[in-house]
Amino acid sequence: MGKALRPKGWVLLAYLLPGLVLYSFVVLIPILAAFRYSFFSWTGGPKKQFIGWENYAEIMRDEVFWRSFLNNVLMTGYGLIGQVGLAFVFALLLMSKLVKWKGLHRTMSYFPSTLAPVIIAFLWMLIYNYNYGMLNSGLKGLGLGSLVQSWLDLTGPIVLLVSIPLSWQNIGFFTLLMLAGLSSINKEVLEVAELDGATGVRKAWYVIIPLAKPTLIVASLLCIANNMRGFEHVYALTGGGPGNASSVMALYAYQSSFLRFRYGYGSALAIAIITLTMLIIWLSTLGLRRRNQEGGVY
Amino acid sequence: MEMPLELKAQHSARRILLHPAKLAVNALMLLFTASCIFPLLWIGYSSLKTQAEFANNILSLPQAPQFGNYLEAIRLTNMLQLSWNSARVTVLSVIGITAIAFVTGYITARIDFRGKKAMLFYYLFGMLVPIHALLVPIYLLFKNLGLADEWYTLIIPYIAFNLSLPIMLVSSYVTGIPREMEEAAAIDGLSFSATMFRIILPMAIPVLTTVAILQFFSCWNEFSFALVLLKDEALRTVPLGMSYFKSQHSTDYPQLMAGMILSMLPVTVIYFAFSSRIIAGVMSGAVKG
Repeated sequence: MGKALRPKGWVLLAYLLPGLVLYSFVVLIPILAAFRYSFFSWTGGPKKQFIGWENYAEIMRDEVFWRSFLNNVLMTGYGLIGQVGLAFVFALLLMSKLVKWKGLHRTMSYFPSTLAPVIIAFLWMLIYNYNYGMLNSGLKGLGLGSLVQSWLDLTGPIVLLVSIPLSWQNIGFFTLLMLAGLSSINKEVLEVAELDGATGVRKAWYVIIPLAKPTLIVASLLCIANNMRGFEHVYALTGGGPGNASSVMALYAYQSSFLRFRYGYGSALAIAIITLTMLIIWLSTLGLRRRNQEGGVY
Repeated sequence: MEMPLELKAQHSARRILLHPAKLAVNALMLLFTASCIFPLLWIGYSSLKTQAEFANNILSLPQAPQFGNYLEAIRLTNMLQLSWNSARVTVLSVIGITAIAFVTGYITARIDFRGKKAMLFYYLFGMLVPIHALLVPIYLLFKNLGLADEWYTLIIPYIAFNLSLPIMLVSSYVTGIPREMEEAAAIDGLSFSATMFRIILPMAIPVLTTVAILQFFSCWNEFSFALVLLKDEALRTVPLGMSYFKSQHSTDYPQLMAGMILSMLPVTVIYFAFSSRIIAGVMSGAVKG
């Protein structure tokens, strides 16, 4: 571009500054502040007591925190299957010529993504409800009355039960993401699959998978980031219960700070969550990239 | 592209053979779509039933639709106040997001400067950082600075946390605008700012509309920051008010459903009015991301 079009440095800075200042104020400064507070024992009053790394040592021993961490990881696993995996299948179906009313499917399946997590949580609370829930009444209708139960009081599968609403809400978004990413795949590949039936599907699979890999990687990373930071669905659906069975890291940090007034510990938890999340995202980037390179060989 | 005739004949022959597969696939997709929509229809029509009618059969359609639940829900949640609070915060945040995203996106698309990569990476970090882990430090920061519990409180995090994707969307859109536009403007003696606002801004209206709609949803629906930063009942937003409403009146389900329908009304209307544009916007963002 010619020199004439280039603004002076200070003009550029003046345009970029408002965004950067606001963003830093809400993202960077709180991280730095949390790091500082994490070395104190502090109940919110004027008195802060410096305790060094004690909060971090406590985190290492804190079973509820690690339980919450595992729940985040478990939710991520369910998310990769229920959001990214299923969305991939639906996207392929939507691209094939077999499926009619594509616009309808796209419009309707994305709609839940536009709703508030709190509303989604209430909706699923009603679905899981013991007396008036759709799930139990459906089971009764199918003659499976013996399976009827108070779903959200189950400790064993509670993380799965919390993950289902998340998948239900996000699958439309991931389907769109896949559709966008896969649009570069030659339509003929899919037609071969349609014409040749089962063998065609298998053939197409080998062609599609390498082509779809970049999209699958982006979707997986987004899904990992979303599930590692989950808070609102869990807060509104179970509050972390029963007991701590469905607690997630952000919810635990919230409860430590705002219900138990342990701001120092809550800040240390914030730093731990950010560190663990970034570590997991980084590791999965490495893992996915390597897989991608291997995939490129054949 | 025209298919050769014999291929076409073969094609349609196979098509007929594959009818069961076609049926199965379509049935599967319809089932999937129905499962996305039915729960929402269910709360819609159930909100028109009385509590007794709902308890009697949770799936049946209302015998005599009545709107009493809505009146009660509006009164008990103070829905008009909630909606006004949400609308004020949302509209101002969306204006802020769109303005900052336009300027930042335009500059990153067109001008090379030192630190540009670092800046984009810094903004990208916001999409990955677990924002809910920051609830505690943000609360402490806002409280210490006296920024908590004001009518404008939520606008600050709502703008900041919603910049990443819009900047990328605008940047990729502007990259698609031919540079001749600016070169012609420069020959006409327009300054950088005049070019940006008078030439490029009108051309970027489509992407800015998409950004505005998507961020409208995001701000209208936001719950965590409202939960942590607002104590004053008079400032509560819709999701926050709904959360308190649910914990206080959790047994009257049709009434709760009426509240839920009211709270999602603006998003629903906007979504179905602009769905094709929204879906196109999400897909173009997905490619970029």
